[in-house]
Amino acid sequence: MTDTPLETDDATALERVVTSTDANTLGRYWIGAGSLTLLASLVAGVLVALERLDLGGTEVFGSADEIFQFWSAHRVGFVLLAIVPILVGLGTAVAPFQVGSDSIAFPRMAAFSFWTWLIGAGTTVTGFLIDGGLGTPGAGGQRQAIALTLVGLLMVIGGLLGATVSLLTTIVCGRVAGLTLGRIPLFSWTLLVAGTFWLLTLPVLAANAVLAYVDLRGRTAVRFGAEEAIWEQLSWAFSHPQVYAFALPLVGIAFDIAPVSVRSRLATHDVVLVLTGMLGVVGFGAYAQSFFDTPGTPVMNEAIYVVGAFAAALVVLALFGGLVDALRQGVAISQSGTGNNPPAPMILSALAMLLLLAAAVVGALRAVDPFDLLATSATGAQMTLTMGAAFVGTMAGTLWWGDRIFGRVSSQGLGLLAGLAAVVGVLLLGVADLLSGFMGQNDFTGASVAAAGSPDSGVDALNLVALVGSVLLLVGALGWFANGIRRLTGVAAPSDPWGGHTLEWAADPSAVEVASERPLLDALENSGVAS
Amino acid sequence: MAAGTEFSPVEVPLARPRTLLVGTAFATGAAAMFFAALFSYYFSVRNDTLAWGAEWFPEGAIELKPGGSLMSTFAMAAITMAWAHYASIHEDRTHGYIALGLTALLGIAAVNQTVFYLNDIALPIDHSVATTLLFVIVGAHMVMTGIAVLWMGLVLLRAFGGQAIGRHQDLVISVSIFWYAVVAVYSVIWLFIYIAK
Repeated sequence: MTDTPLETDDATALERVVTSTDANTLGRYWIGAGSLTLLASLVAGVLVALERLDLGGTEVFGSADEIFQFWSAHRVGFVLLAIVPILVGLGTAVAPFQVGSDSIAFPRMAAFSFWTWLIGAGTTVTGFLIDGGLGTPGAGGQRQAIALTLVGLLMVIGGLLGATVSLLTTIVCGRVAGLTLGRIPLFSWTLLVAGTFWLLTLPVLAANAVLAYVDLRGRTAVRFGAEEAIWEQLSWAFSHPQVYAFALPLVGIAFDIAPVSVRSRLATHDVVLVLTGMLGVVGFGAYAQSFFDTPGTPVMNEAIYVVGAFAAALVVLALFGGLVDALRQGVAISQSGTGNNPPAPMILSALAMLLLLAAAVVGALRAVDPFDLLATSATGAQMTLTMGAAFVGTMAGTLWWGDRIFGRVSSQGLGLLAGLAAVVGVLLLGVADLLSGFMGQNDFTGASVAAAGSPDSGVDALNLVALVGSVLLLVGALGWFANGIRRLTGVAAPSDPWGGHTLEWAADPSAVEVASERPLLDALENSGVAS
Repeated sequence: MAAGTEFSPVEVPLARPRTLLVGTAFATGAAAMFFAALFSYYFSVRNDTLAWGAEWFPEGAIELKPGGSLMSTFAMAAITMAWAHYASIHEDRTHGYIALGLTALLGIAAVNQTVFYLNDIALPIDHSVATTLLFVIVGAHMVMTGIAVLWMGLVLLRAFGGQAIGRHQDLVISVSIFWYAVVAVYSVIWLFIYIAK
């Protein structure tokens, strides 16, 4: 394992933490820090959901601008401060070993990227808490604090970009002989596809943020830094279709877990490679911003947006069908002493794919012009379902690879319960917000009935359902976090608890001949042990 | 953690992965997307402004000479970078040092000219949407040039420190990929902002 000398010298604990360049350790850092910001963003989500119970005034917050700050903080936090970093962490800890490398490429840059992201995340959260955020509709925020939030966001983007470059370079260059791109495990493949689209879209978000920052710091904001216009320029990164690009690795997690769980090969491996590539393409969302509106036709009414929404639904449907087919082909492996119960990660990853399918259907409905859903709470429903699916996918991923990453066992039962709570929470939130959208409730409801849109009487009940969903999602995240804490004090984990097919489960990947996408299964079959 | 599934060793051919080149290509692609976004906003807002019959830049505000001079500097720097690339491929260290040094010098000159130009434009940054976009694009490109110059300095230090030739080649080619991107971005600025305005 490549590491800095400090880790082997007489370094203090703090020095070891700060200077570590070990992929597994960095992965743990990303997951740990991401889970903390996840809890913070979900608390913000619960508060906003609570506020929505009374659309005619303010109950929890002091003003519409404050509501907006927490509402946007929840979205930014959920996507860029929580789910994407957790996926990066899982990738950093797993992908190098999946391709047979003993370390991540550019380890110092990978470490620097994590610390940059962490400081940026702290700065962003601070910016939101001191009356800043990403602008407000009433221009009631503190300009200096908004500037601070933008600087934090830029650091977050920089950190994520650096980590992505390390990760992608590892997947491309760190592969052992015989492991062609077509044979790499699907989690690594989806990271490669998703990471490529992160590299293509996060710089666009950075360009938006730089423009807003420079304009905001000028004497009078001419356009980009006007406080009531900042969110409009950045919001594309937190809605359809960009969220698909962020959530894409969950597909790889599901397709890595399913065949091992049912002891079979994935007959449709090549098809999944192509479909995930297509999902990456339709998840490119940098064009979906108001700069590119043509007079009279918003970009979201253009053919590319509508066709992309339906293409995403079809691609996800095909992927879900492929997963169901893979699961149908075998019987779930039994865990020690628990009979033939399917493993928790398999159940959660399948449910995550189901949530992604629901998200894609909502995305397609939202693009249908006569429904008039673009500015409604259906936008939030699509984001919640997609990123919620990614969260449930990461829960499955941490249960699956957690023993390998942390070296200690956690409770699969608690993990499953937490995951199920999150699934139910995401579904309640998504369905309630979709139905509210059909009733005309705006995406951001403000602090008056007029600002909330033209809600019918049923919206209040739906907002109550959404609140229950937010609370359940938070409970699920807390359960997942508690399970992670329990893992730190758990007993030592077996090195290969699942009978894995791919190289991360091998003691010495360089000693394995790679002739297919499942080299360990090949080796077992060749040695005469039936899988 | 205990050892995982064990198998008997097999002979595998080892290929030298060109990690630095691939990483640089990814990073350069990301930088290119940053500028592509800024250019897209520039052209989009400019089209809207002109369609309304409004003025984009005031007459005479953008002079051609400083921009042209900068383009000449970058063109020379592209040639000296190609020279450095050629020298590294042919393991000619002396020419490699000279070419890299010259490229870095021209890069510093370009930063200097850009600072002069930004001071010379008699428009404040918040004069209009056009000037805000101009300052952001040109300023961001200046930062990109500065990063490339720093990187070249690092390559020179490592090369002078006796870096092996094979590794040296990858370093030079990597910095040249980034440098050509710097020149390409400036070419767009020169053609579509300074000349076409």
